[in-house]
Amino acid sequence: MTTSLIWYSQRLAGALLLAVLGAALIFFTMHAAPGDPALAALGEGATPQAIAAFRLRWHLDEPVTLQFIWWLSSALRGQLGESLTVASGTSVAALIAERLPNTIFIGVYALILAVLMSIAAGTIAALKRGRNADVIATSAAIFGISMPDFWLSYMLIYVFALGTGWFPSYGFAQPQVSLAAAIHSGTLPALAIAAPMAASFTRILRACLIEELQKDHVRVARSFGYGKFFVFVHFVFRNALIPYITVIGLQVRYLFGGTVIIERVFGIPGVGSLMVDAGFARDFPVIQACALAFLLCVLVVNLTVDAICTALNPRRAG
Amino acid sequence: MSGFFSNRPACLGAAITLVVILAVVAGPWLSIYSPTDMDFLALLSPPSWSHPFGTDSFGRDVLTRILYGARVSILVSATGVCLAAILGTAAGLLSANFGGWIEAVLMRAADLLLSFPSFVLALFLMVVLGFSIASVTAAIMLVYLPIFARLSRNMATLVKDEPWVQAARLFGQPVYSILAREILPNIAAPILVQAATGIAFGIIIEAGLSFLGLGVQPPNPSLGSIMADGREYFSRAPWVLTMTGLAISIALLGLNLLGDGMRDLMDPKLRSRI
Repeated sequence: MTTSLIWYSQRLAGALLLAVLGAALIFFTMHAAPGDPALAALGEGATPQAIAAFRLRWHLDEPVTLQFIWWLSSALRGQLGESLTVASGTSVAALIAERLPNTIFIGVYALILAVLMSIAAGTIAALKRGRNADVIATSAAIFGISMPDFWLSYMLIYVFALGTGWFPSYGFAQPQVSLAAAIHSGTLPALAIAAPMAASFTRILRACLIEELQKDHVRVARSFGYGKFFVFVHFVFRNALIPYITVIGLQVRYLFGGTVIIERVFGIPGVGSLMVDAGFARDFPVIQACALAFLLCVLVVNLTVDAICTALNPRRAG
Repeated sequence: MSGFFSNRPACLGAAITLVVILAVVAGPWLSIYSPTDMDFLALLSPPSWSHPFGTDSFGRDVLTRILYGARVSILVSATGVCLAAILGTAAGLLSANFGGWIEAVLMRAADLLLSFPSFVLALFLMVVLGFSIASVTAAIMLVYLPIFARLSRNMATLVKDEPWVQAARLFGQPVYSILAREILPNIAAPILVQAATGIAFGIIIEAGLSFLGLGVQPPNPSLGSIMADGREYFSRAPWVLTMTGLAISIALLGLNLLGDGMRDLMDPKLRSRI
């Protein structure tokens, strides 16, 4: 118990350290960007007095390190400054708080779809190794990792929105307002993000299952008369789950990366589309906050994956 | 090598990759059109014998634009991934060889870069450096740098205490020579495989950034900017976006199959698994 507690706290401390280092990286890189944030906010025709007042208000004349400490300490209190151009004057924290649930909803929806698809395809492929079902599943998987996800989203729109009319081609209903409507309008974007991930999950699950199926304890269990299904669930699938979940953890950064472009395609008001808008408008506080929000999402998921893997295999913590 | 030729998917991958490279290199001689020639009598015409992939809203031949755009996309991705492979492998070799604080600093830096969603990292860098071809290259490099650093460090840790490396140390070979002549050749294969799949995914990153309008800027055609064009009139002329995406998918399928085949060839133990 104590060893695992120590292990968990070490993990947590590591993630916190990465979060602070990541915040520093974001801040100092952004600071090195060409262009004066005062000019970006006030426009080219701003008076020198207005620029001076702006620089004073946002501490822009102080040393960079002090600015960073000021930014980080107010970020910890939930204050991320005000948007300069995208939604001028709105608090950045409010912008993120409004949009983060949409991004997380789409991300989780995509993850669930990817896990379900890959468990079905990976299991069938491993059990029917070398037969037609396996060839179809592995070919689909390698094609899946070769497709640009935003291209797939247009193909989905063409078939399921413009063609059959089952799903909307644009727009998103917020999950807080109506969960059913959010699921309906979120299906195509989630599917577009999920497909390439399902493909890579399928490949790893199939490889792990095939390796486990060949192990001695599986043959022994079968010779003891345990049923095929029982052996598969208890001895094969359970052991293959650990590398499978580890890979899911590694792929989460592609999941959140995928939301950026897919949110733009489907017009979903999420953190990803906010970051793109802010990128065009050179709205520095918003870009910083979006990058930080994505970093924290990945760190939280990685910690969760670590905890799940350790629960499945307690030796890791020992 | 016979192992490679008996692996049918790998041969298919090599064939696709070869065709893609030939098409992209010989593109200007293959096509009778130029990527910027406008034909106002054939605006948005669907695929036909004279325009196999149709034409876009300016009457430009989509296939020709894909051939030219692919040059830019492949060049950008390959340059970014190669830079990442060189710098990342150097960082990995130094970490494995010296350990201590050098390893701690370099590997924590890699962890840090790996904690950002890859596309967010690329997008962030585009904003800082400005929207240009050079920035896209830098963004792809930064996404792949930590992956190569970690891979080469892990592989180098495995071989650095092998007898032939110890012998080289005893003979007094300088450190750079040990790293370059004794360790690097033994870890080169997985790095090359990673580079093949890296170039494939780098093309997707480039296409994504340019698709959003943040990457390669018009009038330079790149695969992403052609698709961004095609998005504007997708419901009227779906072939522009569809054909470009299909071309990307098939090219990347080739690279991924080739990468898989090379991986199997290197590690026969792995082949029994897959």
